[in-house]
Amino acid sequence: MESDAQEQLRLIERAEAAPYVDYPKTPWWYPVVIGLWAAAMIGTFVWWRENAPLFTSVLVGLLLLEAAFITWMQRRHGAMPMPGRGRPPAEIGGIWRRYFAGLAVIAVAVGLVWWLVGVPAAAGTAFVLVTGGLVVYERAYAVAAAAKVKERLA
Amino acid sequence: MIRGLDPVIHAPKRLAAMAVLANAPTASFRFLKEFLEVSDSDLSKHMSALEAAGYVSATKDGRGRGATTTYKLTRTGQTAYNAHRDALRALLDGPL
Repeated sequence: MESDAQEQLRLIERAEAAPYVDYPKTPWWYPVVIGLWAAAMIGTFVWWRENAPLFTSVLVGLLLLEAAFITWMQRRHGAMPMPGRGRPPAEIGGIWRRYFAGLAVIAVAVGLVWWLVGVPAAAGTAFVLVTGGLVVYERAYAVAAAAKVKERLA
Repeated sequence: MIRGLDPVIHAPKRLAAMAVLANAPTASFRFLKEFLEVSDSDLSKHMSALEAAGYVSATKDGRGRGATTTYKLTRTGQTAYNAHRDALRALLDGPL
């Protein structure tokens, strides 16, 4: 019975890790597109006071675009994990903590540029930092952490 | 059957499907089929058993060849999965 339980727990560990490590390769354009989207979100605020309908419609359009993108990613992935649900493997959990810390740093940096220089410069900063940050994250996740999990559970 | 172990989930393919679903909001039929390395009909049978127990719910989008089926763990399923997992751990850890 104990060996059966051990076998089932090994099976559980592999299956719980599957949504985190079994996925199609991320397209090369993904970091650039997300960087452009972030820049567009910030850039929209140029119209904040001058043209409220334009500001609102572009903002809503960008949010709808994001929702469509997430739906496409979920379909492509098949079982896309979400933060706060389930038990990510330890290697992935560490990467996610750094990802959210990185997001906070980017938000502060963009806010600072916005305050000191203005919206267009903040949009440019958002593009560079989000694109670069995602490239680093993709390497840390897919190339390092996910590979380690696959190797451990093989 | 040991107390806490769920006979519906105990079958390895069903247990693995539940473990995948416990770690993603939804999982597609294709993802589960490829991960579990089973045929369409075999997966359908396992998922139907989990649906009948009220552990998963299925949603079908589209029609014909392009149709996709996605599964989601229900609250009852989540509770049953956690209890089964805990019972396995307790079995290995033994009495204190």
